[in-house]
Amino acid sequence: MIKMWKEFSKGLWKELPPFRLVLGLCPVLAVTKTADGGLGMGLAVVFVLTLSNLLVSLVRKIVPPKVRIACYIVIAASLVVAVELLMQAFAYTLYQKLGIFVSLIVVNCIILGRAEAFASKNPPHLSVADGLGMGLGFTLSLTFLGALREIFGYGTLFGVPVMGTSFKPFSFMIEAPGAFVCLGMLLGAMNYFTNLQRRRKGLAPRGNPAHECGSCGLCQGGK
Amino acid sequence: MREILKMVVVLSIICGLAGLSLASLKQFTAPYIVEQELTFVQGPAIASVFDDFDNDPVKDRKTFQLPETGEKVTVFPARRDGRLLGVAFETKGQGYGGDLGIMVGFNFQPEGVQGIGVTTMKETPGIGARVAKHGFTGQFRGHALTDLEFRSQGGDIDAVSGATVSSTAAMHSVKKALHIYTSLKGQFTEAFGTEAP
Repeated sequence: MIKMWKEFSKGLWKELPPFRLVLGLCPVLAVTKTADGGLGMGLAVVFVLTLSNLLVSLVRKIVPPKVRIACYIVIAASLVVAVELLMQAFAYTLYQKLGIFVSLIVVNCIILGRAEAFASKNPPHLSVADGLGMGLGFTLSLTFLGALREIFGYGTLFGVPVMGTSFKPFSFMIEAPGAFVCLGMLLGAMNYFTNLQRRRKGLAPRGNPAHECGSCGLCQGGK
Repeated sequence: MREILKMVVVLSIICGLAGLSLASLKQFTAPYIVEQELTFVQGPAIASVFDDFDNDPVKDRKTFQLPETGEKVTVFPARRDGRLLGVAFETKGQGYGGDLGIMVGFNFQPEGVQGIGVTTMKETPGIGARVAKHGFTGQFRGHALTDLEFRSQGGDIDAVSGATVSSTAAMHSVKKALHIYTSLKGQFTEAFGTEAP
């Protein structure tokens, strides 16, 4: 039980998919014009990720290693088509809003990444916990980013006006560049908080990632 | 050899199961999806085209076959007090971001275009998407069946500036609809069973 909780909770902050692992950015940038778009996309991902983790984990012992990726893709693709059909049948307005990005869940790196990195090596109950946690983390991140962009871009939150009548919306925020800027700022803020926490614990803040000099040479190796 | 056999068998079984479950799911959801599309896509477009009808065009729809090509068209009738006012149907043109669906309504008395409404589109927001706005679609309201052309081609419709592809797609759909209307005109009153207008 404790182990399940550990696998579940790591997706919520420590390995938060879009902001920590920086995985699955294509839908993150594209569907977060509004908070409910992000929420809907996130829920679709939760469904696919949990079930694909479960199925992959169930078949992990009978799938020959050489064709494992093909098997995982088949499982993920079937689940995505199922989600698409169910969404069309029962939540058509959401389907209209998410459009092509529902079918693109199948190439979302999170699905295959979790199948390969986690579900293929762990028993079903842990895999489900991992899928749920990662999915929920993804949903929360998308909803948060969507809310941020919706508040500044439209002056509303989940369609309800929140900024008052004198507010003039930034249409920049709901266009593609706004998504990049928001994402960058969120990543920066998350790094800042991590470093703040580390400093409180008396640890040195994490430095910039070290780059290989070979590909750049701008500073001539520090000379 | 054993290994190859195992790979083939396992992969085939997984694919087969996936195909089977998807096929049954598709069969199960198909009627719901058609209904949802009619209520959320075609229904509102018809309502924006005709303004005083009292029937349910989605429920009264009928499928017609074009005499030349054999293509099938779903036609939505608009009635008032049992009298057939006009018909509407959807045609598609090639827009900038894929198919641009236009619901075109035709009025019988006086004969002309009742109006157009956009059903599905993936045009660029703020540019091509303006073809769905009243400024463009409003030009077709009550338009005669002749002179349906852009100003540059000798007609009297203004294209959306900066959105030539989207405007042309919309115009193409309207002209296609006009063509369908003229070739099916004789069958409407008979099929929808009311007095001749």
